[in-house]
Amino acid sequence: MIDTIIEILNGICGADEGEITPDTELFEEGILDSFGLVQLLVELENQMKVKLDPAALERVQLSTPAKIAALAEK
Amino acid sequence: MTPYGGLAFFCVLTVVLIPAAVLGLLGKSTRGYGILATAALLLAVFDSWTARVTLLAFWALETGLCCGYVRLQRRCGQLWLLLVFLSLSIAPLLAVKLGGLFPRLRLFSLLGISYMSFRAVQVLLDCYDGHLKSVNLLDFSYFLLFAPSVSAGPLDRYRRFTEDLHSVPGREAYAVLLRDGVWKLATGAFYNFCLGNLIWNLWIARLPESGFLPTLSYLYGYTLFMFFNFAGYSRMAVGTAYLLGVRLPDNFNRPFLAADLKDFWARWHISLSTWLRDYVYTRFCMTALRGKWFRGKRTASYLGYFLTMTLMGIWHGLSLHFLIYGCYHGVLMGVNEALDTRWKRFKKLKKRPVPRVIMGIITCHLFGVGLLIFSGRFF
Repeated sequence: MIDTIIEILNGICGADEGEITPDTELFEEGILDSFGLVQLLVELENQMKVKLDPAALERVQLSTPAKIAALAEK
Repeated sequence: MTPYGGLAFFCVLTVVLIPAAVLGLLGKSTRGYGILATAALLLAVFDSWTARVTLLAFWALETGLCCGYVRLQRRCGQLWLLLVFLSLSIAPLLAVKLGGLFPRLRLFSLLGISYMSFRAVQVLLDCYDGHLKSVNLLDFSYFLLFAPSVSAGPLDRYRRFTEDLHSVPGREAYAVLLRDGVWKLATGAFYNFCLGNLIWNLWIARLPESGFLPTLSYLYGYTLFMFFNFAGYSRMAVGTAYLLGVRLPDNFNRPFLAADLKDFWARWHISLSTWLRDYVYTRFCMTALRGKWFRGKRTASYLGYFLTMTLMGIWHGLSLHFLIYGCYHGVLMGVNEALDTRWKRFKKLKKRPVPRVIMGIITCHLFGVGLLIFSGRFF
């Protein structure tokens, strides 16, 4: 799960290999913005049939790939 | 009586908050007393019978709609039903705004209707999304009419609000809330009454109504006035809520330290900008991406920002200057988005100290021009 999320994030943000790790602070580091998050959530729906609603979650709950993976696995 | 507007209100507020503080320090729930306190404060703020009857009718409509929708939604979760309920929910707000634009159509006015309507809309949307399975009549009424923030926010979220209502903080945690709440009330009053009023009386009120230099001076004065006035008001509302055991979210976070406009909006009137982000921008962009509406994915974001910020503008009123204010920020947010995605150095520059300061100064000026439009000085 975490690898897929990092792969999707690399594609969305144009990040280099290894730049995003499971504990990277995505918003604080300026890697992910509001639209990047939307793209990630839509990709998670398409590729993994996982539905996460950003209106129901705080940004802090989605701040790292590891946290997103934990929510997606619930 | 205007909320946080004078000595009389603060006398009533003090009398109302003392029992809440005693209950909190004894480790008891402040929910029941908070509802009574809200009723007392609403009676003081809505001080004419016309205003009270209008508020009562508005409460009955919104409560009926939200409690009714949560039941109907279980049987019929279709979009058209949501749209019907949303339209009915914002109908009073539209009537008030249209009345502001065309005085002949003015049926009624209601203090805080913009904020209260957004609270009700949020509950309807959360029910539609399946995040709310039931709505408690008393909790919803308390949330909708919560006196500390009834007139001008901050905009709280129903689920977060009810979590606070149903968890007793305990003596020690309440003591921290009390300390922070009193501090916020005191600093908010200082911002609003001392700094805001000083800027207005000694600076803005003395400026001529036209001319380039007076307008430039007005831009700086009005930007600072809006910050101290509104941030001060918000701090007082948050402080009062703390004393009632509700952790109302902060509305400002050092906005003049923002690196760009997106960052500025994440720090200014935070509860409204995050509300619009979650319930308008994100919703629009996700629908557009799922439906593959546009060839270029970022087009959804540009349009989403324009739509969201324009809505933010007309939410303040249906006048031309509010519409232009919204469109102005819609365009600027689009430009900001384009710089973020198309010019890779932009993100790197924001992290370097000197370019960040320069970008911050430009951002503050761009926001100031927006407030100049907002002020109605031009048209």
